[in-house]
Amino acid sequence: MRLPNPVREIRTINRLLTGAEAEANKAGEIMPGAEHLLLSALALPDGSARRAFERLGADPDELRSAIASQYADALRAIGIEPVSDDALNAAAGAGVTSGKGVFRSTASAQTVFRAAVDLAKTERPSRLVGAHVVAAVARMEHGTAARALRVMRIDRHALAAAAAQELDAGRT
Amino acid sequence: MVNLNEIPPPDDPAEALAAVIALRRLADRLERAAVAQAIRDGWTWQQVAEALGVTRQAAHKHHAQRTTDHPRKETP
Repeated sequence: MRLPNPVREIRTINRLLTGAEAEANKAGEIMPGAEHLLLSALALPDGSARRAFERLGADPDELRSAIASQYADALRAIGIEPVSDDALNAAAGAGVTSGKGVFRSTASAQTVFRAAVDLAKTERPSRLVGAHVVAAVARMEHGTAARALRVMRIDRHALAAAAAQELDAGRT
Repeated sequence: MVNLNEIPPPDDPAEALAAVIALRRLADRLERAAVAQAIRDGWTWQQVAEALGVTRQAAHKHHAQRTTDHPRKETP
């Protein structure tokens, strides 16, 4: 029988949130969104988030460029030729940092994080892994993360099923 | 030049809202880049605030930590 490991759980949560913040800052944003949590989940050492994508034949490393693509597509849809993020971030000089203290995130990230933790709590023993975050993001119909998945031609229902399969595989 | 006829119609709210998010993001980056350039050019926070239509405190709070350059000394 596997016993709950609160220290491991805290370490995973810390890794997930710190990683999401770093992804957001790297993209020039102060607060992470659902898409940054997903990127962070893909980097978790348990590997289940990446495997969920790979089960669908999708390359998880393409998510970052898919996020950028959906922003560019949205601007082109209203007749604006997008400016590269790198150019604008370079012009802004200093990088963006979230500052120290309490972790702050956008509503979409909060929704995904809560849903992922709730999903993890249904497991006995509870253990948060990347596939929980993938499953939580797959519930979202709209927003940046959902649009990025569509750019990657990933059906969110299929991704939810792949995440569930990963979680099942992790239990055995 | 933005062609207003190409703006997504309200009957496609998903596309329109995605455009809103992308515009906000673009505006935020453009603001940061422009403020950083203004400060490098010697603008005071008062001048930056005036151009943005916000208070000096708001401009300073929002941007001061994000720029490594320092504005010229302001008279109180």
